[in-house]
Amino acid sequence: MESSLMVTGQWALGTGSGSTQTLSGIFQPEVNLSFNHGWHLTTSLRLRSEARNGMQPGDIERGAYSPYSRPALLHESTELELRELFLQGQLGEILFTLGKQQVVWGKADGLKVLDIVDPQSFREFILEDFDDSRIPLWTLNIERQIGNWDLQLLWIPDPTFHAIPKRGATFAFTSPELVPTAPPGVTVKLNDPRRPNRPLKDSDAGLRVATFWRGWDITFNYLYQYANLPVLRQNVALVEGKPEVIVTPGYERTHVLGTTFSTALGDWVLRGEVGYFSRTFFIGKDPTRHHGVVKSPHLNYVLGLDWNGPADILISGQLIQSWMLKHAQRGTGNRLDSTLTLLMRRLFLYDTLTAEVLVIANFNHGDGIVRPKLRYQWLDHLDIWLGADVFFGDREGVFGQFGNNGRVLLGFESAF
Amino acid sequence: MNTLLALLAVTLLMFTDGASGTELPSGDEIARRINARDEGIAVSRKVTMEMTETSGKSRTRETQGFRKYYGREKRTVIFYLSPRSIRGTAFLTYDYPEPGRDDDQWLYLPALRKVRRISASDRGDYFLGTDFTYEDIKLETRVSLKDYRRKTVGEDEVDGVHCLLLESRPVSPEIAEELGYGKVLQCVDDRIWMVRRSQMWDLKGQPLKTIHFRDIRQVQGIWTPHLIEVVNHKTGHQTRFHFANVDYQSGVDDRIFTQNALKRGWRR
Repeated sequence: MESSLMVTGQWALGTGSGSTQTLSGIFQPEVNLSFNHGWHLTTSLRLRSEARNGMQPGDIERGAYSPYSRPALLHESTELELRELFLQGQLGEILFTLGKQQVVWGKADGLKVLDIVDPQSFREFILEDFDDSRIPLWTLNIERQIGNWDLQLLWIPDPTFHAIPKRGATFAFTSPELVPTAPPGVTVKLNDPRRPNRPLKDSDAGLRVATFWRGWDITFNYLYQYANLPVLRQNVALVEGKPEVIVTPGYERTHVLGTTFSTALGDWVLRGEVGYFSRTFFIGKDPTRHHGVVKSPHLNYVLGLDWNGPADILISGQLIQSWMLKHAQRGTGNRLDSTLTLLMRRLFLYDTLTAEVLVIANFNHGDGIVRPKLRYQWLDHLDIWLGADVFFGDREGVFGQFGNNGRVLLGFESAF
Repeated sequence: MNTLLALLAVTLLMFTDGASGTELPSGDEIARRINARDEGIAVSRKVTMEMTETSGKSRTRETQGFRKYYGREKRTVIFYLSPRSIRGTAFLTYDYPEPGRDDDQWLYLPALRKVRRISASDRGDYFLGTDFTYEDIKLETRVSLKDYRRKTVGEDEVDGVHCLLLESRPVSPEIAEELGYGKVLQCVDDRIWMVRRSQMWDLKGQPLKTIHFRDIRQVQGIWTPHLIEVVNHKTGHQTRFHFANVDYQSGVDDRIFTQNALKRGWRR
C-alpha cells in the first residue's frame, strides 16, 4: 500500500476589486493498493475549503453533475469530491482501467479541442490547471496493443457535463458567445437543466487508435457523446404583461471524429489536432426562432509549434480555429473563430525555478489573457508560486467578459 | 611442458591484448574496447538521484529505469517514483544507430496527463535538473565514436586502480557547441575497459565538471557502476546516481517502452 497527501493553498487578490478573489485550501489524499498479478486500486479524494469572501462551492451549477459524480457540500464553503477510484490491471493482452478516472486526449496546450472526453469545471474559467478542473468520470477504459497500434475503447455511463458558474458568481459567463442576452428591462428566468436520464442508452462511448509511424505520433479518435456545454433554448413569454425570457438548458448528442499528430524536426516539435463535431448548437441571432439556437456541424483544430532552445528555453505557439460549417444566423455573426496562444518558458537553477508567460489572444473580439508565473521548488516537498492573470479586450468576448477579474496570486503546494 | 606453454601464452597475451605492455593502445582502440564491453541486452534498475546545491540543500528523486537493445537501436525509459510532487513523470527515448537520425523522445508530465513529444537535438542540455546532459545519460558508460577525435595521453590511477588516459576532442566546433564540451579526459580502467573518471572542459577551455564512476562490481557477470557522481566546477552543484536492484537477466517487457506505459507509470 502507498499513500500520499497533497496540500495546496492559494490566495488571489482581484486587481479590479482590490479584494480577495479566492483564498482556498485543498487537501488531496491518495491511496494505492496493490494486489496479485499486477492489479491495483487507486483512490483519491479532494477536500476544498474556501474563505467566506472567496469563490464558494455553491457558486457552481451543481445540476451539471450526475448524482454519482457530484461533490458533497459539507458546509457552504467546503466540498468533498471523489476524484479517482479505479481498479487497473491486465487480463491477457488487455489492460483494464475501471472506475472514476480522467481520460485525456489531444495535443493542445491551454485550450481544448479533443480533450473533451471528460467535462471540466469553469469555477475559475480556464485559470485552474486542467488536472484540477477536469471532472473525472465513471468509465470503463480498455486498452490493447495490436502490432504497432494501440487501441483504446471507452464506455462512460456517467452523464456529467461542464460545471458552469451560476449567475452572479465571480466567473459567471456573460459573453453573448456563451449565454443569451436579454434587452434591458426583460427578465430572464433559468430553468433546471434537462438531463439525459437513461443510464445505458445515454452513455458516451469512444474509440482511439494510436500509432508511431516514421517519427510521427498519430491518433484517430471517435467519440459519441452528449456535448459538455448545455444548449440554452429560450422561450419568450408574457408574465403579467411583461416579457420574460425563460432559458432551459439541455444536452445534445454529437459525433466527434478527430485526429492528432506530433513529430520532432530538429529543435522544433510540430503538433496538432483536428476535431469534427457533427452537431453543435450556437446561440442564434433571433431568440424567437428555433428557441434561440442554431445548429451546425463544426470543425475545431489546432496547429502548434514548439521550439526548444538552449538554456532550457521553450517557446510554443498555437493557432486554434473553430469553424461553423453551415451558414446560419449565429448571434455573434462569426462563423470562424480564431485564437492564438504563445507560451514562453525558461527553467533556471537546475529546473527548480520556472518562469513563464502564457498569452492567449482571440482575433474575433480582440480579447485575451496574459498569464505570467514564477514557480519555485523550494524543497523536495514544497513548491511556491507567484503569478498574475490579466484579461484584456472586448467585454463581449470569451476572455474580455472577465475584464474585471484580473488578479495576482500567491500559492504553495506541499506533498508528502 | 604444458605449464611452460601456458606461461608463454599468458605472457604473449599480456603483450598483445592488454595495456601493460610498453606501447599503450590507441585512443580509438580504447573507445572500441569500452563500447565492446558487455552491457547485457536489457537491464532494469532502481536509480536514486541526489542533487546537492553549494549551500548543502539537496533534492532526491527515486526512479526506476529500464534499457533494452533491439539490434543496435537502444530504448530507455525512466519512471519517477518519488517525491510526490513529481511522481509519475516519465521519460522515454529511442536511440537509433543511423548517423544523422535524431533520437525520438517523449516526456510524460502527470500535471498535464499527456505524453509530450520533445525534440532531441539539444543533447548538451542538462537532464531534468541534474548535472548530466541528455548525451551523458544516453551514453551511460559508453563513449561516442562519431563525435570525438581521441588519443591516448598517458596513464593514471583512480580509486587505486590503474587506468589509461583517453583525451577526446569534438570533431567540429558545431559538435562541441551541441555537446557543451571542448575537451574530455577519461581515465579508463584497462582491466575491465570501463571509464572510472571523466573530466570535461567547456568551449573556452575552463574546467566544467568531473564524473566519477564508483562502486564498480559485477552483476550477473556484467561490470556495473553502482554510484556515479558528478561535480560541476562552475556552479559547485553536485549530482549522485545510486544504482540498486540491477538486473540483467529477468528480461524487460517490450511494452514498457511505449507511450501508453509512460502514462500508466510503473509500480513497485
